Amino acid sequence: MLSCAEFLAEFGDYLEEVASPEVRARLEEHLHECKTCKVMVDTTRNTIRFVTDCDSFTLTADQVEPIVKDVMSRILDKKS
Amino acid sequence: MNGQILRETNPPALMNVTSATQHEQIGPSRGLVGAYGFVPTLFALQKQLPRVIEGEQHLIDAILLREDRLSRRLKDSLLLTVATARSSDYCRALHANKRSRDAEEDHPALLAFARKLANYAPCVCKHDIEALRAAGFDDSKILECILIVALGQLLCTLANALGPSLDAELPVLPSIESSRLPEPVEWFETTGPYLQPSPPPDSNFQPCAFFREQFGFVPKIFQEQMLRPDVVEAESKTLAQILIPEDLLSRVEKERIVLLVSAANRNTYFVAVQRQILATFGVQLEDSDQIVEDHRCAAISPAELALLDEVRKLAIWPGSEAQFDTARLQAHGFSEPQILEAIAMAAVTNFLNTLQAGLGAVPDFPPRRVFARKDLYPSVSASRLTSDATFSDDPDATAVARVQDGDTRAFEELVRRHSRRVFSTLAGLLANLEDARDVTQDVFLKAFENIGRFQGRSKFSTWLTSIAINTGTELLRQRRPSESLDQGEEGDEFRPRQIQSWADNPEQVLAASEMKQLVREGVLRLPEKYRIVVLLRDINQVSTEEAAAALELSIPAVKARLLRGRLMLRESLAPHFVRVQKRSPDAQLR
Repeated sequence: MLSCAEFLAEFGDYLEEVASPEVRARLEEHLHECKTCKVMVDTTRNTIRFVTDCDSFTLTADQVEPIVKDVMSRILDKKS
Repeated sequence: MNGQILRETNPPALMNVTSATQHEQIGPSRGLVGAYGFVPTLFALQKQLPRVIEGEQHLIDAILLREDRLSRRLKDSLLLTVATARSSDYCRALHANKRSRDAEEDHPALLAFARKLANYAPCVCKHDIEALRAAGFDDSKILECILIVALGQLLCTLANALGPSLDAELPVLPSIESSRLPEPVEWFETTGPYLQPSPPPDSNFQPCAFFREQFGFVPKIFQEQMLRPDVVEAESKTLAQILIPEDLLSRVEKERIVLLVSAANRNTYFVAVQRQILATFGVQLEDSDQIVEDHRCAAISPAELALLDEVRKLAIWPGSEAQFDTARLQAHGFSEPQILEAIAMAAVTNFLNTLQAGLGAVPDFPPRRVFARKDLYPSVSASRLTSDATFSDDPDATAVARVQDGDTRAFEELVRRHSRRVFSTLAGLLANLEDARDVTQDVFLKAFENIGRFQGRSKFSTWLTSIAINTGTELLRQRRPSESLDQGEEGDEFRPRQIQSWADNPEQVLAASEMKQLVREGVLRLPEKYRIVVLLRDINQVSTEEAAAALELSIPAVKARLLRGRLMLRESLAPHFVRVQKRSPDAQLR
């Protein structure tokens, strides 16, 4: 079976679901046996979900239009 | 069709060869003296790499010097035609002395074919060969004409990259302006091979053994030339001198050059063959396909990316005004012999691609990518052909083309479409929402000012993101000059410390606003180089390839930073979600 270090080496591709079927099977075999790595997988997936769902860094719809207006007026000012 | 043909305009940027040294013995020069009466600077510039000169000379001996069916003077006329098509002043001068105006007048069909093959190799079809036969040329002469045009492309490629100064022995011709290519010729989809089948070679024909040993099979491109086994032998020797040795560039690097230049030349045959050859070296087919579609997003090192960027400028089709940038490659650690070898490899690729286009050799493997007419003129705007293939799937392509054509209002739509992404990238990078709002405007102004230079080598959104990252990073550097996005490698291996299970529904542990704040703080605490990748991938939902292109990083580097960033973030969130329980006895990494 893979060691945890070997598992972590492939962890990124596993999370991204781009590991080859063979590698994936070996990783899942490890996960079946290793609670620690299973925790790593579950909690990292939760983390990604939180970050993806969190709108801490996004503009609301009503914040977009003033930016569009400002940009276009600066461009048109420069051209005229 | 408005692309411009390659031409050499500057003095050599690579090897400093003085007039006093250019005629020094450069190794196997006897054949060059036989061909030209002296050793042209074009070859003297490569004197650091005698085996490459020797490889080129094998082709010159077999194709130019050996008078088989076409006279030397007619061959020089054909070479002059290619040099004119490629706007290569040096090669025009190299072949002007020996040309034959009489031969040109006697063989207009051959000259017209050479012009088409030089200018529009992907458009050559069996009708062109039939027209030559109707004009009285047999297959031996047609093959020789194709070989000469291919040799002309090889010489023009070398001249374009090396920029030789004119030898004293050559005539000074009036420079021809970089000409615009005429409208595309008609495209007929015809199946090759165009020449009559050649008798198979003897079983002990040495070049076949060479091809089998190196490639595992005898590519059809060589089988189609068996009317001239001496040329096939010369080609095998050229490959043995330039492609096979691994003392400078690796075989994979060189095979990738062949793949990329062939893709730029829209050569279905060589793209199909190269991806299979690369597979025998352990390169995944998907990785080769990425080189074909957009090498900037391929999983290769920044140095190899720069190498491929530069050799791509040497492709024949569609022609580029961009100069081969030796200094850039030197900055990436490439030695002069390595750069020379890369140039020679691109030249040999143009030779082989031209041969294939003239012969119509059919792919040895089912092609995954079949280039068609639409690939010849890929620009969304008929009035603009860039030096690079456009990213055909870019949903912004139409709006970008309108802005490039002077429609300022079309830019408004681009601002509206992308302001969220630009803002969130900057908000995460600068950790200040007010700054992010201001800099978002600056980013769009920069994009507008530079949109004329946007060539569609990546998606517009990727290009915009890279402007945002560069602008934000520059601002951070001004504020905190000691920090850099690129500083250092990944350092010691990251070892997770929080390895306890989280509560079953962790999102219910905190109120939504608390969660938002927690994630925001966690992201902002990440070191910049991890933060920016997490922002692009997990918040902006940018693909790994696009993130790599925007950050000018390799895909493996993006993957590594993304994983590290995610794990660090997980570490900072964990204390808030850990399930209250006794620590499991096996809760440690083995």
